[in-house]
Amino acid sequence: MTLAARKTAVRRPAIRVDVGAALNLVGAQMRWFALAFLFPLGIALGYRETVWPWLAALAVAAASGFALEGVTQGKERVGLREGFLVVALTWLLGALFVSVPYLLHEPQLRNPVDAYFEAMSGMTTTGASVLTDVEALDHATAMWRQFSQWLGGMGIIVLALAVLPRLRVGGRQLMESEAPGPEFEALTASIRATARRLWFLYVALSAAQVVTLCAVDWTGADSTMSPYEAFAHTFTTMPTGGFSTRARSIEEFGPASQWTIAIFMVIAGVNFALLFRGFVRRQWTRVVRDEELRLYLAILALGTLVILADLLAKGIFAGEAAVRQAFFQASSMMTTTGFASADFNLWTSLTAIVLVALMFVGGSAGSTGGAIKPVRILLLGRILRRELDQTVHREAVVPIRFNRRVLDERTLRGVSVFVLLYLLVFAVGALLLVVEGARTGGGSVSPFEAIASAATALGNVGPAFGEFGPMGSFEPMSHLAKSVMIVLMWMGRLELLPVVVLLTRSYWRA
Amino acid sequence: MRIFVVGAGQVGTTVVEALHDEHELTVIDLDPTRLDTLGNRYEIVSVEGNGASRRVLAEAGITAADLLIAATSRDEVNVVTSMFAKRLSPETKTIVRTTNVEYLELWQERELDIDFVVSTELETAHAISRIIGVPAARHTDVFAEGQVQVVEFDVVANAAGREVVGRPLRAARIPAESKVASIIRGERMILPRGDESIEPGDRVVIIGSPEAAKEWSRLMASRTRLVDEVVVVGGGQTGAAVTRLLLDQGIAVRVVEAAPDRAREVAEELPEARVFHATGTDPDFLERERIGDAGAAVFTMPDDAKNLYAATLAKLHGVSFTIAVVHDPLSAEVFDQAGIEVAVNPRTVTAEEIVRFAHDPRIRQVAMLEGDRFEVLDITVRSESALCGIVFKELPMTGSLIGAIVRDGEAIFPHGDDRLEPGDRAIIFTESARVQQVERAL
Repeated sequence: MTLAARKTAVRRPAIRVDVGAALNLVGAQMRWFALAFLFPLGIALGYRETVWPWLAALAVAAASGFALEGVTQGKERVGLREGFLVVALTWLLGALFVSVPYLLHEPQLRNPVDAYFEAMSGMTTTGASVLTDVEALDHATAMWRQFSQWLGGMGIIVLALAVLPRLRVGGRQLMESEAPGPEFEALTASIRATARRLWFLYVALSAAQVVTLCAVDWTGADSTMSPYEAFAHTFTTMPTGGFSTRARSIEEFGPASQWTIAIFMVIAGVNFALLFRGFVRRQWTRVVRDEELRLYLAILALGTLVILADLLAKGIFAGEAAVRQAFFQASSMMTTTGFASADFNLWTSLTAIVLVALMFVGGSAGSTGGAIKPVRILLLGRILRRELDQTVHREAVVPIRFNRRVLDERTLRGVSVFVLLYLLVFAVGALLLVVEGARTGGGSVSPFEAIASAATALGNVGPAFGEFGPMGSFEPMSHLAKSVMIVLMWMGRLELLPVVVLLTRSYWRA
Repeated sequence: MRIFVVGAGQVGTTVVEALHDEHELTVIDLDPTRLDTLGNRYEIVSVEGNGASRRVLAEAGITAADLLIAATSRDEVNVVTSMFAKRLSPETKTIVRTTNVEYLELWQERELDIDFVVSTELETAHAISRIIGVPAARHTDVFAEGQVQVVEFDVVANAAGREVVGRPLRAARIPAESKVASIIRGERMILPRGDESIEPGDRVVIIGSPEAAKEWSRLMASRTRLVDEVVVVGGGQTGAAVTRLLLDQGIAVRVVEAAPDRAREVAEELPEARVFHATGTDPDFLERERIGDAGAAVFTMPDDAKNLYAATLAKLHGVSFTIAVVHDPLSAEVFDQAGIEVAVNPRTVTAEEIVRFAHDPRIRQVAMLEGDRFEVLDITVRSESALCGIVFKELPMTGSLIGAIVRDGEAIFPHGDDRLEPGDRAIIFTESARVQQVERAL
């Protein structure tokens, strides 16, 4: 080799990530994803609505899937390293296909950024919308929007409980302690088997919610909840999504439906591995002792009480309605669902701040909820307490435990880093939105609204405040701001690290 | 009795010293000089060879032995020796000395065919906790997944439980969910009849729930409890064992360990202990952590000189009661001179426990009064048993004692008004002579 050749070899090291293999797997997933369009297709046929956009979307998804797979044929070895890329691309491309029928068919979503925003909000189970008139959608499109969140939820359960732990993101040890017992782990060495079990539970819980909501209708407790609405809102409750077919969200339904949805939101915010333990293995004592579940419920109760006190003191609601509104809104924001049982935008600023704070807590790890998650907050508290302890007692050796198991220091570092990164990404996102809001909004977007928008996107919640509130829309945002929101939703959904890792040089090289 | 002692080291020598008067001893060791030293002092049969060798054991006449004590410093040798001895001579009782907690646990789970396992670390820990005035329970047997325990206690002078010690059992306030199964006094074993009493210096055997066992340990603790807080310097096996026993007795423990990995291990194993990664010889650390405020300090490092230094330093910082582990028997005097309150030699303690077991009525009776021994039985009651349905207070008195019943997986500690039901598992403490009678009756 000549000296010159060696020099270029040194200067341009090969990419050490098997991009082909990653694309191959993504292609295979997209091929299956195409089948999802059969559902809106059926609805379009049933309601005699336009059929061709769904056939087109199906064809596009299937064709791209097959093409991607075909081009990368023979590269099928996806390792740990390719995993990050697969995860990141799956959500990007998934949202792209979700947006195809919007682009083709829905006048409100003609602009690609708007269509992609709506699709990403669905896939990441966020629930933020750029639509200004939800009720103008035809049945197939409306249901597709709801259904995209349900599919996203399925993806997240597998992502959170089977894929990310294997990528050592989100604390492998934490997740392992969460996985339902050693006998379970042995059975489910593969992601596929874990996925099957948890999907079964996800589908079963969804079925339970549909039945309960229909029962609410049939018993006459709430005649506004038709079977169509029961399905539509179950599709966005279990994945803690928050899309609604109604302009006034859950406000349009009666108290019985609101209570039902609130309770299922709380269930959806619990670790699915833990729910599996309880519902399937009947190990309720272990479920009740779970430290994350306890903190999750405690924060939820605290948030509810503060809002309740505020609502009562200001006389906004009274009696059962006050309890229901406080509980519904606290659950909705904390589990990162984003339904609204009233326009909380019009409540007090104290409540607004509590709701934004709850957006950062999120549902439990291993649930469909987003944001930081109670377990990380719990551990961060313990890390902080230890730091304070060791400030005085320098030599003290204090292992940190979670559910009585000692966690290794690497896991704990991961927790601190995640929270730091979360806040950092939030801060950058908020800054961009504030600046962009000031530039284009002509003073109509307050910094609080911009900041809440960043929090709601990164936490996969849905509504923010002001014109971006629960009864509003993100439509007025500039396309640049919407793009920032899209990136935040995407990053928040994937627990940041798989995305951030892709931005490092060491991921691709050496 | 004819006793085989394998290993003529410190433990072996102490055992020989204690037993040579009354028993016929055969000592096996690889080192002829050690055997000579021992042979010159005591009247023993010396066999030069490997105790873990089947041939050596057979040639030395193991089949005639009543008891084999495997007391070398190597655990595996001791276990293998005991295994071969049992194979060659099933009637021979075996005692194994071990430093490995795992062997002890295996033995407690009845996975090892050994009659008695003495753990050096655990014996040392027991000795130290006795000195501090909180004798810890010795779990000898566990039934029904730990719900029923057979537990032994040393009864110290001035034990806190005046309502049970020194008064007739029928007047004693025995903790609920427990029964006195037996009292061991010197070389006698006393049946716990109503007119007998528990006296200081006895060992008492209890059948009861884990909670009752805790209550008993409170009753058995010294009234003049010396301390509420102890500092343990050295987090090795002995240090960890001491810490565990003291924590179980409700004493706060701070552990000081110099090796970072070991400190971490101890902290993970014992969540209730406060663990420091530091040396006990760092005056800054002692001052900062106010080590002087502790009621007592225990030094369990493997190096005598370090223990002495650290103990002296601790005294300078104000610890009034210091207990040190010494390994060299000659160090004891030095420690005494330096004003260290108590020096505990692990090997001596181990030897003492082995000798105690050799003297234990339960084993002596096997050897001397054939068949007259106590056993704990675990029997399922048949439906046709004549004793079914009779309330306990009306059951015939036979010298056997139903300590507990396991019904549907739950342990019940029967009172006078309870009755046996078919399918119950009865945990019975009985004389061996009555085993068949009991089995027939149930």
